Parts: sequence; C-alpha cells; structure tokens
Amino acid sequence: MADKPKVAIYWLTACGGCDEAIVDLNEAVLQVADAVDIVLWPVAMDFKYSEIKKMKKNEITLSIIHGSVRNSEQKEMAEVLREKSQIVLAFGSCSCFGGTPGLANFRTKEDIFNWVYQDSPTVVNPNKNRPQAKSKVGDKTLTLPEFFDHVYALDQVIDVDYYLPGCPPPPDLIANAVFAVVEGKLPPRGSTLAPDKPLCDSCPRNATKPLKFDITEIKRPHEVEIDSETCFLAKGVLCMGPATRSGCGETCLRVNTPCRGCFGPVEGVDDMGSKFLSALASLLKAEKNEDVENVVATVCDPAGYFYRFTQPTSILGQQKL
Amino acid sequence: MSKHDPKIMCFSCSFGWGYLSDKEDIAKKVKNWVPVVCSGKVDSTHIITAFKEGADGVLILGCPEGDCHFQDGNYQTGKKVLILKKVLESYGVEPERLKMQMSIDPEGKTIPDLVKNFAAEIEKLGPVQVRPLREKAVAG
Repeated sequence: MADKPKVAIYWLTACGGCDEAIVDLNEAVLQVADAVDIVLWPVAMDFKYSEIKKMKKNEITLSIIHGSVRNSEQKEMAEVLREKSQIVLAFGSCSCFGGTPGLANFRTKEDIFNWVYQDSPTVVNPNKNRPQAKSKVGDKTLTLPEFFDHVYALDQVIDVDYYLPGCPPPPDLIANAVFAVVEGKLPPRGSTLAPDKPLCDSCPRNATKPLKFDITEIKRPHEVEIDSETCFLAKGVLCMGPATRSGCGETCLRVNTPCRGCFGPVEGVDDMGSKFLSALASLLKAEKNEDVENVVATVCDPAGYFYRFTQPTSILGQQKL
Repeated sequence: MSKHDPKIMCFSCSFGWGYLSDKEDIAKKVKNWVPVVCSGKVDSTHIITAFKEGADGVLILGCPEGDCHFQDGNYQTGKKVLILKKVLESYGVEPERLKMQMSIDPEGKTIPDLVKNFAAEIEKLGPVQVRPLREKAVAG
C-alpha cells in the first residue's frame, strides 16, 4: 500500500457531476482503486482535512480538483492540495474555465445576494437575514467562509499542471489521464488532456454541413424538427461546435442536442466566445444592419450563450485571485 | 482641457483608407492607428483585447458597402461588430464604444478627424470599465 501513488479528489464550486463521472468509469474504477491509494474524496469517503494538512510536501502524487473557486474555504483547500501534490489536474469545465457558475460574474455579488436571500418569490426572509462570515451566538462566534466578489477558474488561484475539460469529462479521457499519471507517460506540463481539434471535425453531422450557410433566423431546438443527421447550424440552431474542443465523444449531438461548448476553446484560443461570435457572424445572411440586429435579438443572452462555460477565463472576464 | 483624454484604437482598411497618404503623418496624429489589409481581418478577439488593454473606444474604418477588395470582408466585420456590441454590454462596456464606419478616403486626410470626433463622443462616457451589471437579477 505504501508504494501506491496517492490520489486526492476534491470539489470546489461543483455540482458533483464530475465525481459521478469518475464513478462512471465502472469496472475501470476498480482498476484505478487497485493502482492508487485514494487519500481524499469527500463525496464518496470520509477523510479529515487535518490529515491532509499533516502530510508532507509533494506526498500526494495527483490531485484531481473540480469546480471553480468562489469562497475562502475553497481557496484554502486548493492551496493545501497544491502544496501537498506533485501534479494538480484541473478536472471538468468549472475547474478549467470557471464553468456555468462563472456566469455569475455578469452580476454583482450584491445582486446575487439580493435575489437569493430576498427578492426570489420563493424566499421568506422577514428579518432580512444574510449569511455573515462571522456571527455571534451567545458567547460563541460562528464562522462561514467568505464569499468572493468573483468566480475564479482553478489556475487563477493556484498553479495547475494539466487540464481535463468537460461537463463532465468523459470516462475514456479520465481513465487515460489517471493511467498516464500512474505509468508516468504524461505530456508537457500545461497540456490539456483532450484532442486539439474543434468538435465539427469529429462531428457525425459534419457530412450534412452545407457549403454556404445563410442563417436568417436563430431557432431554439424545440422550434425545429431535429433529425439525427443534419448539422444544427444548417437549421439555424446555435451549436458551439465550431469553437469547441473535441474529445467529448459527441454525446450531446448523438441525442439531438446542440453543443453548448463545455470542452472549452480549441488549442491556442483564449477567448472562446469571441471566436464563436466571429464564426456565427460569418454564417448570418443579412441585407441590412437591422437584419443582423433582428437575428441577434432572438438570442436572449448572447454573452451567456457564447461564454456559457468560459466567462472567468474570457479576455474581458479574467481575474487573478 | 478635459479631465479624461480617451484612448481610441483605430483599425483601417488599407484598400480604402490612406493608401495614398504619408502614413507617418497619420500615425503621428492618431496614436493607436493600425492599418490592416482588410477590415475583415479585424477579429472580435482583437477588439476585445483592445478594451481589455484599456482602449476607451474602438473605431473600424472599412470600405464602402459592396466594395471590398477581397469580396466581402467589410460586410463580415460589420456583422461581427453588431453582435459584439451586445456581448460587450453584458460585460458592462457601453456598445457605443465600438463603431464601424464604411467609406473611402485614399489620402487618409479625414482619419485624424474621424478619430477626434469619435473621441469626443467617447469622452462623455468616461474611461472604459469592465464590470458586472448593476441592475437586479432578472427572474427566470
């Protein structure tokens, strides 16, 4: 047991879907469990943070961290794991780019608190209570982590060695990543452990892509009849495929759902949303400016759509903690 | 003297703007002037990066409609600009800070004035700020 590489799996601002994805390795998870010694996995097993804090520097071989960073507890744990680990893998879209929680950066912290603790119709809060980092109860002081003003991707808080995007990452890429660590066959640091090409390249619908697109109206998926072969953009349904990294196994496309961009930008691109925007603009057919404006008006929240998973790492949205 | 001197980034198509001019002369008058081979070459990433780096306004000078040397570069960028304006709004950047003008001026004499007039419009908006929207969260 002592010779096995130690692995920590930890979640920050995450939904648990990434943990689910690890469990979805099915039989392979038994191989993983045989090959490594899991020292931390809050969602599945009981461990104490204090045990991790007592470990020596670099004692953990691999830390798989998923979720973005929004509060001080997450920052602290990310820093502890960085110190104790030889390799940190940003796992899943939230960790790599901020993910959907990152869309909160389009609003102020104050607006979010107003909505969640006051204005939402399902909230009953006559005393207008708000969570406080410190509150006195009798002679005791209770503490909560501090809620930051901004959602951060993991590499904006600690150094990250490898990235594995996806919401959640697919089992084949997870198994490849874990066995690459165990066998010591890792690519250069900073690499993303997924193919470099855009999704359209591997899309089974690519064959039906027209030579020239003339989109005059953006449709939502329920407004058109979607078959299993036709390119979504050819039908006017927004599909992030042209600007998204492939490797997901085209799971959404196979069940007639357009790509939402969870794999993030392709290699060499920093700002996924602006690249998709450029691609989309070239597909629109418009005689006059008003035509373009009318088409864009049919997308309720263009920034939210184009940066659904990448707001915190976008050029205008990025910040370092 | 105004309190705020806006920084304007100007991209201009070399086939329509200032190809007969003394480029150094224009460059002296317009601080951040980037002649490009076609306005279609201006990517939305360039515009966004300009704002990130502190530009208070971005002005793109393209050829007249239907007159692109390379088929339809100006038309393509025109569409990009319109969509980008909506995206910039979500980042708290006023859409007026981005402007595209389609015209022609081989001697480029009007470029410094266009930039100056645009700067005057931008001056009213103050320095660029990327920030979350302040209104209350919308239901649904």
